[in-house]
Amino acid sequence: MRVVIAEDSAVVRAGLAEILADSGHQVAAAVGNADDLLAAVDEHQPDAVVVDVRMPPGYTDEGLRAAVAIRRDHPGTGVLVFSQYIETRYTADLLGAASAGGAAGVGYLLKDRVADVEEFIEALARVAAGGTALDPEVVTQLLGASRRDDRLGSLTSRERDVLALMAEGRSNTAIAGILVVSERSVEKHVGNIFSKLGLAPSDADSRRVLAVLRYLQS
Amino acid sequence: MSGGNVSREPLIMRILVRPAAYRHRKVWGVACVAAGLWLLVLGFILCYFAFWWGSALIAVGALELWVAYRLLVAPLPQRVRELERSRAHLVDDSAARLRQIERDLHDGAQAQMVAVTMKLGLALKKLGGMVDGTGQTDLDRVLELVAAAHRGAKEAVAELRDLARGIHPPALDQGLGTALTSLAARSDVPVELVLDLPERPSAAIETIAYFCAAELLANVGKHSGARQAALRAVHVPGLLRVQVSDDGVGGAQVEARGGLAGLAERVKTVDGRLRVSSPPGGPTVVIVELPPRA
Repeated sequence: MRVVIAEDSAVVRAGLAEILADSGHQVAAAVGNADDLLAAVDEHQPDAVVVDVRMPPGYTDEGLRAAVAIRRDHPGTGVLVFSQYIETRYTADLLGAASAGGAAGVGYLLKDRVADVEEFIEALARVAAGGTALDPEVVTQLLGASRRDDRLGSLTSRERDVLALMAEGRSNTAIAGILVVSERSVEKHVGNIFSKLGLAPSDADSRRVLAVLRYLQS
Repeated sequence: MSGGNVSREPLIMRILVRPAAYRHRKVWGVACVAAGLWLLVLGFILCYFAFWWGSALIAVGALELWVAYRLLVAPLPQRVRELERSRAHLVDDSAARLRQIERDLHDGAQAQMVAVTMKLGLALKKLGGMVDGTGQTDLDRVLELVAAAHRGAKEAVAELRDLARGIHPPALDQGLGTALTSLAARSDVPVELVLDLPERPSAAIETIAYFCAAELLANVGKHSGARQAALRAVHVPGLLRVQVSDDGVGGAQVEARGGLAGLAERVKTVDGRLRVSSPPGGPTVVIVELPPRA
C-alpha cells in the first residue's frame, strides 16, 4: 500500500516510515504540516494517510481538519488519525466526515498503539481498504458517554465486549479469536446487539460500526 | 507598601516630604497623624489665650493630617489597580507556563518514547520471526533497532530531567544558596558567585529569585558574548537583592513582550522590582530586588 505520513515530530515521522517500509509498504511522502499533507495527497493519491492531530503552525487540530478534508475530496484514500490524546469531539468529526463520504475508511488511534507493529499495520490496512480502526480508548469513551441510555444498558456484559470490539473495526472472525469463542456465537451476539439496539443487520463491517457509533453518539 | 510614583505627588508634598519618607509610608504617615492631632488639640487650647497663634497651630496640624492622607490613603486606588494588573499577569503567566510544559512534554519526551516503542516493536517482531522460524535471521538489524531505542530512551530521560528541573529545581529545597551554586556551575560562561544569605526567604521568593537568576544567566550565555559573569545574592535588611552582571556587549533593554519585561512583571507580582543598566558596549548589570516574604 502507498502511504503518506504527516507528523511534525521528526523522530516519530522517521519511526513510522521505518515501520511501514519494513512491512513492505511504500511511503510516498512524509511531511511535517497539514498544507504539505494536502499537497502530497493531491500529488500521490495514496491508499492511506497517517496524520497527527496537532501540527504547525497552530498546534491545535490542523491534522484533523486536513483528515476531514481528505475524506471529503479523496474517497479512495483511507485516513488514520494518530494522536497522543483521544478527544471525543475529534471522533465525532471524523466519523461525520466518513459517513458524508459514503464509506468508512477512517481510523483514530493513540500513538502508543504503534508499539504493536503488526496490529498497527493491520489497522492501517483496514482503513486503506475502506474499513475502520478505532482505538479501544475511543470506544470506551463513547460507551461511557452513552451509558445512561436504557437500550444500551440492556446489553449483557459479553455483548458489550463484542460491541466494543466491533466498534474498533474488528471482523467477526477477529472478535471470535480475541474472546476465544466460536465465530458462530459471535454472530449470535452481533444479532442480539442489533436487535436490542433496533438496528438492521448488515454484512458490511464498516457500515455496522458506523451505525453503532452514530447510535452511541446520539 | 511600595514607593509609588513620587513625581506624581503635588508640589507642596515634594517640598514638605523628603523622598526617603515614601519608602516608609506607614511609619511617616502614622507619625504625621499623631503630630497633626496633637497640633490640632494644642491649637484649639491656645485659641482661648492667643487666637492667631492657635489658628496657626491648627493650620499646621491640618497640613500634617493632609500629608498623612497623601501618604496613607491617596495611593490606595493606584495600588489596587497595580495589584489587579499584576494578578492578571500572574494568572496569564501560570497558564502560559503550564501550556509550555505540556508542549515540551508532547514534543519532547512523549514523542521520543513513541519512537522508542516503534523501534522496540519492530525489533520484537523481527526477533519473534527469528524464533519461530517465519522471518529471516538478521541479528544486525535487531541490534541496530535496539541500540536506536536505547539511545532514544536515554534522550527522553535527559529531557524529562531537564523539564522537571525547569518546573521546580530540586536543589531549591536545600535553599536558594545551594540552588544558585549549582545554577552557576552549569552556566556556559564562567560565573563568579557571591552569596550572603543569613536567613531563608519564603519559598515563593526563593523560587522567583532562582528563576530570575536562571533566565538572566541564560541571557548572558545567549546574547552578551561575555567572557565572565557574576551572580550576587545578598540579604540586606528587608530586601533580597539578586544581581547578575557580565562584561559582554551590553544593549539589553526591557522591551514589551521581551524576556526582561516578563521577568519584571513576575517580580512585580510580589512587589519587587527589576532594574537594568546596559549601555552599548557593556557592562550589563541587572538587579532584582525582592521582599524576603510574600
